[in-house]
Amino acid sequence: MHEMQVVEIKKIVRETKRIRTFFLDLDVNAIPGQFVMVWLPGVNEKPMSASYTKGDLGITVLRLGDFTRRLFELSEGDLLGIRGPMGRGFKIYGDRLLLVGGGVGVAPLAPLAEEALRDGKEVTAIVGALTASELLFVDRLKRAGARVLISTDDGTAGRKGFTTDVLAELLEEESFDQCFTCGPELMMAKVLEITRSKRIPTQASLHRYFKCGIGICGQCVLDGTGLRVCKEGPTFRDKELRRSHEFGRYWRNAAGQKIYFGRR
Amino acid sequence: MLEVELAGLKLANPTMLASGILGTSGAALKRVAVSGGAGAIVTKSIGATPREGHPNPTVVEIDGGLISAIGLANPGYEEFRDEIAVAKEGGVPVVGSVYGFNFQEYAMVAEAMQGYGVDAIELNISYPNVGKAGAFFGYREELAHEVVSEVRKRVSIPLFAKLTANAGDVVAVAKACEDAGADAITATGALRAMAIDVTTAKPVLGNRVGGLSGACLKPVALRCVYEIAEEVSIPVIGCGGITTGRDAVEFFLAGARAVQIGTAVLYRGITVFRKVSREIAEYLEEQGYGHVSEIVGLAQR
Repeated sequence: MHEMQVVEIKKIVRETKRIRTFFLDLDVNAIPGQFVMVWLPGVNEKPMSASYTKGDLGITVLRLGDFTRRLFELSEGDLLGIRGPMGRGFKIYGDRLLLVGGGVGVAPLAPLAEEALRDGKEVTAIVGALTASELLFVDRLKRAGARVLISTDDGTAGRKGFTTDVLAELLEEESFDQCFTCGPELMMAKVLEITRSKRIPTQASLHRYFKCGIGICGQCVLDGTGLRVCKEGPTFRDKELRRSHEFGRYWRNAAGQKIYFGRR
Repeated sequence: MLEVELAGLKLANPTMLASGILGTSGAALKRVAVSGGAGAIVTKSIGATPREGHPNPTVVEIDGGLISAIGLANPGYEEFRDEIAVAKEGGVPVVGSVYGFNFQEYAMVAEAMQGYGVDAIELNISYPNVGKAGAFFGYREELAHEVVSEVRKRVSIPLFAKLTANAGDVVAVAKACEDAGADAITATGALRAMAIDVTTAKPVLGNRVGGLSGACLKPVALRCVYEIAEEVSIPVIGCGGITTGRDAVEFFLAGARAVQIGTAVLYRGITVFRKVSREIAEYLEEQGYGHVSEIVGLAQR
């Protein structure tokens, strides 16, 4: 049973102008890629990936809409409700791992890198953002021992362009046993296209509108597969996503209407 | 041994997916039929216009069940046409659940769903968490009678009415539905309930109150089925807390001809329908029965 646990915010870390990490007084042992439902009492409840998965739970949040704006108004000592960690996390295969994270999508990849490096794996992380000041967890990844390659849309750091440009160039030179990606869905769709052509098995962490978070309401079921993002996901294998005509094309809003992804 | 005929529908087994669980998209419904083993699937309740429903949290787990208030979220009947088409690929009867804020909406959406190819309509006059929709029409026999009558004029396929145990007199409501032309009664939907977080002193659900489902609803639903089956001649479908074959058997003994399963998906996964069917068959064999119909209403005598 996933009871709602109401806990204190222990520490808030400003990662970038629009991204903060909230450390909670909740001891967890989660698998990177798993999520929690975060309840702001009296406001709403949303799914968030765990960005710190061992010990005090950490969630790393991009200020985007009303819910995250309210979350950013909280201080250390304030209360949040947590259900979870839940869902299927990433599974590490092989020794040479490649991570591709866009924007706040780096959040679940950072603990994955730390875990893999502790286990003696080799980790290369491609980290992208709109601009240099919005890059997330670059130092954290380097500290853990990962090789970090950077892209920014505006060229203020690393290669000017997208993570997928860096990925395509890298895979001309090198190969990897497994790729893990999280970020905007159109980026992930492109990542899967590139890694497929190089025959690198890839796991992607999806974001969908969640209601129950425990696999019964049906809100987050992926068309073409019947898979529940909250239960069989949020991380999926490339071969699962290839069966879905929804992935990379649209998501469903709270009413269940299809909303097509815009082009970036 | 398990195949049943329900108001003209042929079901390979008597377990049906209850409305409101996994029924928001065709892909989910199809999975419940194909992998889950359900004998029939009931869609999420569909209305005249798109609805986002209530803010989260929409579900809270408690001992022995769930309290939920999704709030009749749905994409509106027009967008649901494509979902029905996918759901039908599951190869089992598809029941379109319909709600409305007035008689006209019920009738219009039911007629549209019939046009999309559903095998039966289930009128949601049981959902308790949106003011003047759903259970609003199921609390008293006059309104229930009028909803069923209005829809009956517009649809020719089998028509079920799903009732609420929150009704003042659920047996009277069932009789009113039968009198108005319903072909079957589903009993029952969730009971009004709530949960409060003691640390923040706030109701947990975004809607503050919700509907209780799961094991803790079972004795109430069972009593409703027992009382209704005694008084109506149309089939009764049991719904409320059915988790195991043993639970389903209790509903058959009370007079139900089929059962709907919802919350148990949480405890036993999507294949709960297959598991419950197997457990029903095991019971029948142990007790020396040849067919599930032989035990329907045994506890009535």
